Amino acid sequence: MVFSIAVLIPNIRLLIQIIPDLSISLSIKLNLIFSLFGAIQTNFTALSASYTIAISILFGVNLVLFFHYIRSQRTGVSKVNGAAGIGGLISGIFGIGCAACGTFILTWVLGFVGAAGLVSFLPLGGEEFGILGVILLVLSIRMITKKITGPQTCSI
Amino acid sequence: MEKSNNLMMPVAVVIAGLIIGGAVMSTSDKGAPSRVAQAPSGNQPVPSQLSGSTDAVDPITDQDHIAGNPDAAVVVVEYSDFECPFCKRFHETMNQVIDEYGDNGDVAWVYRQFPIDQLHSKARLESSISECVADVGGNDAFWAFTNSFYELTPSNNQTDLDAVIPQILGEIGIDKLAVQSCVDSDKYATHIQDDVDNAAETGGRGTPWSIVIGPDGTTYPLSGAQPYAAVKQIIDLALSNK
Repeated sequence: MVFSIAVLIPNIRLLIQIIPDLSISLSIKLNLIFSLFGAIQTNFTALSASYTIAISILFGVNLVLFFHYIRSQRTGVSKVNGAAGIGGLISGIFGIGCAACGTFILTWVLGFVGAAGLVSFLPLGGEEFGILGVILLVLSIRMITKKITGPQTCSI
Repeated sequence: MEKSNNLMMPVAVVIAGLIIGGAVMSTSDKGAPSRVAQAPSGNQPVPSQLSGSTDAVDPITDQDHIAGNPDAAVVVVEYSDFECPFCKRFHETMNQVIDEYGDNGDVAWVYRQFPIDQLHSKARLESSISECVADVGGNDAFWAFTNSFYELTPSNNQTDLDAVIPQILGEIGIDKLAVQSCVDSDKYATHIQDDVDNAAETGGRGTPWSIVIGPDGTTYPLSGAQPYAAVKQIIDLALSNK
């Protein structure tokens, strides 16, 4: 889902125009959507494509581990773990986007405070957030895994 | 305490969804009033929250740079930045489109200027140079210049203009002094800014930004360097409205 959003979101207007159009056949709509996924090669730098794919996978793993942990009726996830998970997801989302025009969502958010141009001052044009997202998600997975595999004890 | 910790991941998912949804809604045409972009100066970023309407695309005129059949049923209007690496990739894709559809005259490709000054400080000058090449040498010279430029330059504002421009002008047989004089006069500054304004007005938020215009006037927005397969799908869809 994260991967689909990342790749398709630059053309959300096109999809909103075409999908509800009943005069266009389902096969044409599906062919268009599938062809747009090819943008992972053409519309992303090697770095942004890498972390987009990584975030998609890590987010899914994080979510699965988290719900497994909760369902196993253990005590709640620590604040640090939760923060890493949330931070990783949000940072990763900010990092998503075409590097040539700055990150799509980050510039939208910064636009509210008139600071969209700040993205251009970042050395990697906003891609830092994608890298940070990967790091935080890996950290979150590590923490949850430790909790799952660690002994259940009541600490003194 | 435990309950609030358990809720942290679902809350993260909701926050993420709101952020994405907000960004999506701000870019959607549906229900959003068309807002004309404030003419961005060379130092101002293109407003990121304007939605725009592709129907506001400026009509094709003889002032435009057109590859393919000027009377083609489908027109792809591309707003491009000479230093954008994705425009460089998309330029190859569009050349592929013209190779496929050019012979039967179904598609025309219109190139318009959209230099993003805050990312690529050299791009506006390069736009001016390209316009002056067209002024001096005509439409064919413009396309020869543009093709060579994208082929020879590294993008991301790393172009050595002092080396590459004379090289290209020499290769395509264009008078360097005439082009220099045209550039120095700033003859095309207004034209370039008009293209930038129209890009923003139609919802362009980055480059390459393209609008596919069908024979019935239906417009299809296309953002980014999309693969050939996707561009072909949209062109075929537009052609089906013949």
